[in-house]
Amino acid sequence: MTKRSPQRLLASCALAAITAALILLLVVLPAEYGVDPLGSGEALGLLGLSEQQSTALQLQSGSWKSDSFEFQLAPFESLEYKYRLEQGAAMIYSWQGDGDVLYEMHSEPDGAAPGFAQTFAKGRAQSRQASYQAPFAGIHGWYWQNRGSTPIRIVLNSQGFYQHAIEFRGGHEIRREL
Amino acid sequence: MIKLAVLLVLSCTTALTFGHDISADNAQFVKSLLGPAPGPFMYLGAKHMFTGYDHLLFLAAVIFFLYRPRDIFLYITLFTVGHSITLLLGVLANWQFSGQLVDAIIGLSIVYKAFENMNGFVAWGRFKPDTRVAVMVFGLFHGLGLASKLQDYMASQDGQLINLLSFNIGVELGQLLALAVLFSLLLAWRSQPGFAKHAFAVNSLLLCAGLILFGHQFTGYLLA
Repeated sequence: MTKRSPQRLLASCALAAITAALILLLVVLPAEYGVDPLGSGEALGLLGLSEQQSTALQLQSGSWKSDSFEFQLAPFESLEYKYRLEQGAAMIYSWQGDGDVLYEMHSEPDGAAPGFAQTFAKGRAQSRQASYQAPFAGIHGWYWQNRGSTPIRIVLNSQGFYQHAIEFRGGHEIRREL
Repeated sequence: MIKLAVLLVLSCTTALTFGHDISADNAQFVKSLLGPAPGPFMYLGAKHMFTGYDHLLFLAAVIFFLYRPRDIFLYITLFTVGHSITLLLGVLANWQFSGQLVDAIIGLSIVYKAFENMNGFVAWGRFKPDTRVAVMVFGLFHGLGLASKLQDYMASQDGQLINLLSFNIGVELGQLLALAVLFSLLLAWRSQPGFAKHAFAVNSLLLCAGLILFGHQFTGYLLA
């Protein structure tokens, strides 16, 4: 260890403490907490850094809609149902079947190659409910398939800021105005 | 050469500052995990330690004047045992405490060790703490800091023990890696003339950094 006189030690510690206090008061506290005792945070434009950027509340454009869609799937029949959502538009949904079905919740961005979809959830279940915020503009929805030997009835309820829905069944596309 | 070493250490610390908190994407992903996920948790443990400048500064201060492998092994073991105890207990028993207060104490651990490296306790003459006890006790607080971070990422109880142990193992791997880098830098620097003279100044810088960390976290605790 280094040998130093007590005076030198005291001076060094004091210098370290003063430097730390200055850095804290001049930049760290204004930037981290918006606490600005010397006005340096405002002068340096640091105060915005500590403002809460909450993601809890997202203002929505477009009009509020709700939809209830009921359908039946014969054994090994499948159906796709998707909503038109702009980027950032939100919806909540709940679907319930009277038996287990294979499902996949996915979205196709505008201008994507045919057949391309981003999948958010898939599996086998009787019901699912969720909130969803579209990460991109496009059509967003579900694929269901009945893998059982008896028909299954499914009810989908949703509310959101979508524009219209599209139903895909047996190679046909049916647009549903909401 | 010395200036280069100081510059390197400083730039590393600055760069690491931005990497300290587990990034938003990582956190989002880990929170979505249900059940045991040893891989991601081990990686996060290692990343947290390797990019956690508060832990790194303390480790640097602890090994600063350690030359014999036996001593390094002893002190790092004490630190490891200390932080593992509180990491495991804190998460398993779901201790609730202020993470910022703990982070403030972690800042003080750097102040303490830097002051001791400056031979402060000898010059002051009032009392001389046992360094081994101090490193172990501060290790307990570093573990609490790790526990509070991990509690934030663990969304489900499912697979908790495996995820916790994976995180702990990751922490030790990250620490080993960090120590290898820190020790190599120290070794190269010690062989330079004037190391002793500059060591004092660098420890004053460490002390200053510890005080800034303390002030940052303690103010956050007071404002919370």
